[in-house]
Amino acid sequence: MTAALVLSHVDKRFGGLRAVGDVSFSVDEGSIFGLIGPNGAGKTTVFNLVTGVYRADVGAIRLHAKGKDVELVGLAPAAIAAAGVARTFQNIRLFASMTVLDNVLVAGELRRRANLVSEIVGTKTARDDEQALEARARKLLGEMGLENLADAPATSLPYGSQRRLEIARALMLEPKLLLLDEPAAGLNYGEAESLKEQIRTLRDEYELTVILVEHNMQVVMGVCERIHVLDHGETIAEGTPEEVRRDRKVIAAYLGEEEAEVSAEVVS
Amino acid sequence: MRRVPTFVLLLLGAAVCVGLDLAYDAAVSADRGYKFWLTIAVMCAINVVGATALNIVNGMAGQFSIGHAGFVGLGAYLGGFVAARVALLMKIPLDELRDNLSLTHSLIIFPVVVLSVAAVCALVGLVVGLPSLRLRGDYLAIVTLGFSEILRLTVLGTNADSAKNPITKGIAALGGSLGYRGPSVPGGDPGDFVGIPSVAGPFWIFGLAALMVFLAYRLKRSGFGRALRAVREDEIAASAVGVDPAKYKITAFVLAAVGAGIAGALLVLRRDGPGIVTPANMKFDKSFEVITMVILGGSGSVTGVAVGAVLYTTVFYAAEEGLLQLSRNYSAFADIDAAALRMTLFAAALIIVMLVRPEGLFGEREVWERKSKGGPKPPTSTKPAVATEAEA
Repeated sequence: MTAALVLSHVDKRFGGLRAVGDVSFSVDEGSIFGLIGPNGAGKTTVFNLVTGVYRADVGAIRLHAKGKDVELVGLAPAAIAAAGVARTFQNIRLFASMTVLDNVLVAGELRRRANLVSEIVGTKTARDDEQALEARARKLLGEMGLENLADAPATSLPYGSQRRLEIARALMLEPKLLLLDEPAAGLNYGEAESLKEQIRTLRDEYELTVILVEHNMQVVMGVCERIHVLDHGETIAEGTPEEVRRDRKVIAAYLGEEEAEVSAEVVS
Repeated sequence: MRRVPTFVLLLLGAAVCVGLDLAYDAAVSADRGYKFWLTIAVMCAINVVGATALNIVNGMAGQFSIGHAGFVGLGAYLGGFVAARVALLMKIPLDELRDNLSLTHSLIIFPVVVLSVAAVCALVGLVVGLPSLRLRGDYLAIVTLGFSEILRLTVLGTNADSAKNPITKGIAALGGSLGYRGPSVPGGDPGDFVGIPSVAGPFWIFGLAALMVFLAYRLKRSGFGRALRAVREDEIAASAVGVDPAKYKITAFVLAAVGAGIAGALLVLRRDGPGIVTPANMKFDKSFEVITMVILGGSGSVTGVAVGAVLYTTVFYAAEEGLLQLSRNYSAFADIDAAALRMTLFAAALIIVMLVRPEGLFGEREVWERKSKGGPKPPTSTKPAVATEAEA
């Protein structure tokens, strides 16, 4: 199986703080991959490195998408998005003053064939283009259960809907790799359950590779095929959910050393 | 909804402008004191061009440019220079240049002026915008302010006596503080200037104002405009969906520079205009006038800004005239200083508008759009905490 994303020995320092240290992992194409760890473990920093918000000091980040291998280190965020990487944000970043539909449509700009002049003149190509994009955006909104809210201001949506809108916007990009940063934050048990289902459906329908940063263990353990565990910016474990759940270092990182010994005994 | 083809709109607009042109001439020849109001109408139209252009970068893209007058001045000097040069090339007799320029001549000269001004301003806009717009934050404000002041002081401080090399001599030819009145008359006295031909008749001025508003509106409604707005709202999120903030901001800035340059050219080439360009055209407070028009009308609203420009210009000119009349006709007001009092009242009026309508007269809506379409305003609790850059 080919890897959709390979991180090799990636390092990122902020002054004296080593936010990410020598992290390597490989995500299989079409898989759902979990990235977990206690607070401050460097999970979101890894996302920011992959999407070009930060630039890795050392190491390589290779994307395999659309039949090409692309080195992502050094590319601008917009170029990385164009290469096929979409993401959502931990703290939700919607375009506040814009409607729900417009939020999604922005992500369609890369797919627009008409140039600015023909858009301003209003040629047939430009109008067809806009119509096609809008139809696609509405379809995505429909899949996220937001079709009736298309004309509402994005920030008028409740929290959970804003998260789904971010996913719709990310999908509008027609990505190959989707990075979800804590999509289950703030969801209740039932919503988290349906999120699991939704992630699988999206992966199958859009042939995505999904990487998930998540604290909600119900979601992570239920949906991820492989899990990579970070602590203090370093890899402490990787494996299937079962393996990770049993790993002493992982338990120690989450619960502390002493309790880890106790619970490891209980598990074994 | 029925869609009117663009060319029909343009034809209609052109027809209206021809009508306005004829009406202007008729009103001037009727000579019944309409001239004052005609000048105001023309100034309104020119300011609509300038403010609409600034709105693209300040309103739509949310970047604060405060050097708009630099581009206005650039367009004014360049417009005067090109118009006079082309007129000389065409061997138009000098006495026709100022006030008796034939329609055919102005129809040839003016498009040449607009195209060259647009090209130069786009290039200069690119040079000014490129370094500052790649960064986030307020660099653009500082850079644009510096740009307009450098232009102004360079022209102001360079005179024929101090000019030694070809470059300074070229700048000195712009007349320094005395102002630019076109190139010297070939074979004439040193103080004899060709003058700036007034090639911008009402047709061009009203036409360009309407065209500018039309183009800006289409721009706002285009995918480009949407992406620009996204950049304004959140650059990180915009770049995460493939919209390169620098590219969009620079394009917006260049478009604004072009519009400002054209406004500047209209300012000096308008019929019954001053026929002279001075460094004062590039002064800092001129930039703020345009910013005021944008904020008054509503940043981001194309028609709102046009209304803002018309309102500002009308009140600005009419207030002084009104106060003058007052002081002349009523002895109780005989010793008021019309110009000073005008500014005081004007400032007070602006403060009141900003208190009542902090987002400008129309906010980001167009004049015909109703307030708050879509859902209700959210309770603040559903709004997530402001995202910080380091989310890790």
